Amino acid sequence: MTEKLLLAVPSKGRLMEQTIEMFAKAGLTLRKTGNERGYRGEIAGLDTVEVAFISASEIAWYLKTGRAHMGVTGEDLIREQISDADERVTFLKPLGFGHADVVVAVPDYWIDVRTMAELDEIAATFRREHGRWFRVATKYINTTRRFFAAKGVIDYRIIESLGATEGAPAAGTADLIVDITSTGATLAANGLRILDDGVILKSEANLIASKVANWSPGARQAENEIMQALGL
Amino acid sequence: MAAETARKFEALEAQAQKIMQVFIKAGHEAVSPAILQPAGVFLDVIGESLRARTYVFTDPDGDELCLRPDLTVPTCRLHIERNGDAPAKARYCYNGTAFRFQPVGAGSAHPREFRQSGIENIGFPERERTDAQTVATIIDAMRAAGLKNFKLRIGDLGLFRALIKAIDMPDRWRQMLTHLFWRPHAFRAELQRLSRPAEESLKSIPPDLRAAIAPTDLARSERAVVDYLSSNGIEAMGTRSVTEVASNLMWRLADAKSDPLPPENVALIERYLAISGPAKAAGACFKDLLRDRGSAMSPVIDAYHRRLQLMTEMGVDVVHAEFSAEFGRQLEYYTGFVFEIVAPELGRESPLAGGGRYDDLMRTVGGKRDVPAVGGAIHTERLLSVVQGGAA
Repeated sequence: MTEKLLLAVPSKGRLMEQTIEMFAKAGLTLRKTGNERGYRGEIAGLDTVEVAFISASEIAWYLKTGRAHMGVTGEDLIREQISDADERVTFLKPLGFGHADVVVAVPDYWIDVRTMAELDEIAATFRREHGRWFRVATKYINTTRRFFAAKGVIDYRIIESLGATEGAPAAGTADLIVDITSTGATLAANGLRILDDGVILKSEANLIASKVANWSPGARQAENEIMQALGL
Repeated sequence: MAAETARKFEALEAQAQKIMQVFIKAGHEAVSPAILQPAGVFLDVIGESLRARTYVFTDPDGDELCLRPDLTVPTCRLHIERNGDAPAKARYCYNGTAFRFQPVGAGSAHPREFRQSGIENIGFPERERTDAQTVATIIDAMRAAGLKNFKLRIGDLGLFRALIKAIDMPDRWRQMLTHLFWRPHAFRAELQRLSRPAEESLKSIPPDLRAAIAPTDLARSERAVVDYLSSNGIEAMGTRSVTEVASNLMWRLADAKSDPLPPENVALIERYLAISGPAKAAGACFKDLLRDRGSAMSPVIDAYHRRLQLMTEMGVDVVHAEFSAEFGRQLEYYTGFVFEIVAPELGRESPLAGGGRYDDLMRTVGGKRDVPAVGGAIHTERLLSVVQGGAA
């Protein structure tokens, strides 16, 4: 059993670059060990830390199960993948990058629907006209359920979408969507509009600790050193 | 995750035999509906809240299936498969496993796999009699299994429907209130909204569009919507038709022009919802409450009393039964009479049995018409734990 702390960070794209940059500013140099395309790494000078470069959505699972002690990923993914997130992880610090809003968007053509309440109002008529509840395409299934329930909307059906969610209403596979957006440009290009009270979560990348990982004295010590470097 | 579905397997089997004997003696045919069900049927019936607690998966053919979250819908499907749309009367009973996801920390009275023993009476037009038989049979079965100390709780959605029918308001408002009945918060908010001048609810409609909509002329309103779309460069897409969008806007304008619901009618609805207490006394409360509008309400109030009378004749202790107007708000597919059996050991959060009338379920799961139907089911693990003493 290793005494090392496992730090999980995004393995590609802007999110990886910004994560490395953020640690660099704090004087911590993240680098891959061995093969450039491999997923293992280290922090220079901190040999009690092992770094895993993995996909952002896998990081949530690593933290949830305690495979990783710490990680950097979006709050949206944590909230979606861990139903008891506050029991299993601690949000240590919002990092100021990876901004994305999880939103409810309907066809702009629905000029009579601008709020969640107005969405609920058309549910019964929609059912009568089309013989089914309206469909919501999303990959944020749990997040959608929680938000719709909190808004009192229950008469709908979720269609799981694994990509190009914003195209679902035009393609006819769903009637509206829940998805992430940073500028809203993709939504607009697909003829969609965010409901006035349809912002579910303003997400950004966070430094997160797992509460269920095996926190050996060595791992604790490594955490303290990282926290100190980050000024936390 | 638990490795064992039932700790007291043999005791549960023995209990199930006693229960099924009572059901069969009362004229029910024992059936075994499929455990694997097409997910679509359930998802359309139960809404997303119970869907969140249903185990749904995709099979190798790409079909979406689920593990049945209850046995009522599977029994309705079985009835349709056997009879098609031919009118047929049937009394079924079953004992089988149902599956519901439970959030972390749910107690042992809420297992994710549990056995339901229940009955369904399908196609019997004498509603009150069949309601009473259902309650009596369920209670007989629980007694046969050794249950002594329990309380019957009843509700009646038919009363609520009759009440808002007796109150003067646009039909669409009745539809909205019935649609929202299951959600107390949303219901209250809607009731308040209908009692205020509705001008503000129109603010979200652009003024030029609002001016062009003709509240009573669909063709003109559709043209107004099409014009608005084209002058704003918005393309129509998806399933909703221009007619639906235009109709909805017309309704909202009509709502805004209607007189708000007068305070005395709001109060009437609120006073009705607050009724709760001994079942017989509740009957008198309705009469009091609705004195002035008695004519429209009297058939359902008579039905309420007739049902209590029939239950008494069938040996059910009605004197200690409790009525609650808000009862039934969690049970989406019920349309009329509803009931629950609770034991002091487990409390109201974990009823030992429950059921009710579901006259439009048959059409929802694939039938061509509404069929009068009522049923009930026993949560057998809870029953056993109470009968054996101690908490589940």
